[in-house]
Amino acid sequence: MIAVPRTWRGPESIGSPLVVLAAWLCGGMLLTFILLPLLQLFAVQTAGTLLQVARESDVRDALTLSIAGAVLTALVAALFGVPFAYFLARAEFVGKSAVAAVVDVPLTVPHTVAGIALLMVFGRHGVIGGPAEDFLGVRFWGTLAGIVVAMLFVSLPYTVNAARIAFEGVDPRLEMVARTLGMGPWRVLARITVPLAWRGIATGLTLTFARAISEFGAVVILVYYPMTAPVKIYEMFLRYGVEEASAAAALLLVVSLVLFILFRHVAYGRRPVAGGGR
Amino acid sequence: MTALAVAGLSLRLGAFTLEDVSFTLPANDVMVVLGSNGAGKSVLLETIAGFHRPARGRISIGDREVTALPPEQRRVGFVVQNFGLFPHLSVAQNVALGARGLRRSRAGSDRVDVAALLARFGIGHLAGASPMVLSPGEKQRAALARAEASHPDLFLLDEPFAALDAAARGQLRFELARFLRELRLPALFVTHDYVDVAALGNHLTLMHAGRIIQSGAVDDVFHRPVSRIAADILGFENQLAGRIEGGEAPLVRVSIAGTVLRVAGVAVTPSATGEIYVVLRAENVRLTHPIDAPAGAAENRLIGTVVALEPQGALTKVTLDCGFRLIASLMSRDVPALGLAPGAAVMALIAASDIHLVRP
Repeated sequence: MIAVPRTWRGPESIGSPLVVLAAWLCGGMLLTFILLPLLQLFAVQTAGTLLQVARESDVRDALTLSIAGAVLTALVAALFGVPFAYFLARAEFVGKSAVAAVVDVPLTVPHTVAGIALLMVFGRHGVIGGPAEDFLGVRFWGTLAGIVVAMLFVSLPYTVNAARIAFEGVDPRLEMVARTLGMGPWRVLARITVPLAWRGIATGLTLTFARAISEFGAVVILVYYPMTAPVKIYEMFLRYGVEEASAAAALLLVVSLVLFILFRHVAYGRRPVAGGGR
Repeated sequence: MTALAVAGLSLRLGAFTLEDVSFTLPANDVMVVLGSNGAGKSVLLETIAGFHRPARGRISIGDREVTALPPEQRRVGFVVQNFGLFPHLSVAQNVALGARGLRRSRAGSDRVDVAALLARFGIGHLAGASPMVLSPGEKQRAALARAEASHPDLFLLDEPFAALDAAARGQLRFELARFLRELRLPALFVTHDYVDVAALGNHLTLMHAGRIIQSGAVDDVFHRPVSRIAADILGFENQLAGRIEGGEAPLVRVSIAGTVLRVAGVAVTPSATGEIYVVLRAENVRLTHPIDAPAGAAENRLIGTVVALEPQGALTKVTLDCGFRLIASLMSRDVPALGLAPGAAVMALIAASDIHLVRP
């Protein structure tokens, strides 16, 4: 039986049974396309193989490193990306669309290309990598710092874009009214603007986290060792084949999904008004 | 005492400008600032509230010069379009925010009882409600209560009704006028709708292209615009080019396309060519049967032909041809009795005191 939509917001004829059938056929193929490989990954596992791979210390280390890298990436994105997003939402200046385009560039750069480019800048002889090691003692190759750099490059646009759209949705007049009520600019930001834009900001950070934890191409070039989970899985695949790698892959999938759902819950769980309703 | 004094205020902000804006608002009075969109009314209000730094000029609220102060230290109650309630806070939290801002700036000298304030504005039962579920009237009360909680010295209202339908607007206008009287607070009310004027203000200022073009008591400005632009802003339907023919100051003779009208009132210097404009509200043109017009009812009696009828609910707008186009407005229920229809002859009666002259 076809699930007929309960409500239909569109021209009446498009909601006809034939169109609904066609829509479910297309949608069904899409959903199968997404879910089948992922479910297949679990179908071949037993609880035993999953536990066994989870007990391997190098797999656990890789997972921990991936999570730490992605969390740090989201924090750095929040620290730099959110204020910049507010600036982009409120300021009008010449070249604003060019700046916005630059923010989007990482979305179109192949990740191995990003990795090589980052290596040339953050590597031993790079313009940032060299001085950073000489003067600050910070190394970007073979370290967590390098992993964060690679993850940040490919995932920062999600935070900046989502937060910018969220800030643009906050009426500047609300900020003005708050100022006249006696609040300084920073209090207005903390009490009015950020809470109202919170959902968009949190969505952006969640996407950045998800993109960061799944990054392979840029990370593998900048930091092969220590291995993040995707790199570890690739190595297991090359060495032992698909069956060995699939257990670790399933484990990474579970961890990523649980964290993703957790963050989404934090983002959307907030009620718009404490004790609201009439 | 003066509630607000603005002197020589000039500012350029993108497409908007303020040019040498000066006026004073006496204590406890309400001034309506009227102008078309883009006249600079909102920029003026935002500059008084402290959001734009003027290039020149001074702003004083009460006895404090505030030109260099940030908005949070100016003690103004700001009410914006749709009332600007914070949607993520309850009504009580909105009002408490106004009170907290105050507590910070005045070191806890006088705490505000939020519940009592809500009750005073008749919204005590809505304390825990989200602003998003309030009616426009309730929103207005919440916004006024919130502004009042911060103990402002001056209210600034920026077209709060602009997004509402006509019925709601009338109701809210009535309530706002009552609250402003009860609060005994000076207020500046910005609008592009001249219907707001009489109900709310006792002073009226007209703005055009960043300048004040006329300012004074409501009755004065509302009935005696100084220019065609002022007459436009005030909604004068009839603006007719004419020429002064003669007569002494109390009763001047003006000819419009060959027809002579007698005009009472102040003489206006015409342009070098003797040209002048007659402005007249449609509601001041009385229509009667051409044959049984009451004798001596008005100084001017014109025979005309109906060109078009435009029903607007209770009122009907009638366009006449009297040798020139004349627009009259009358109760729709009187239309059949007068036999008004396109082509019908009718007599228009206009009192000399209802006609006003302005420079071209």
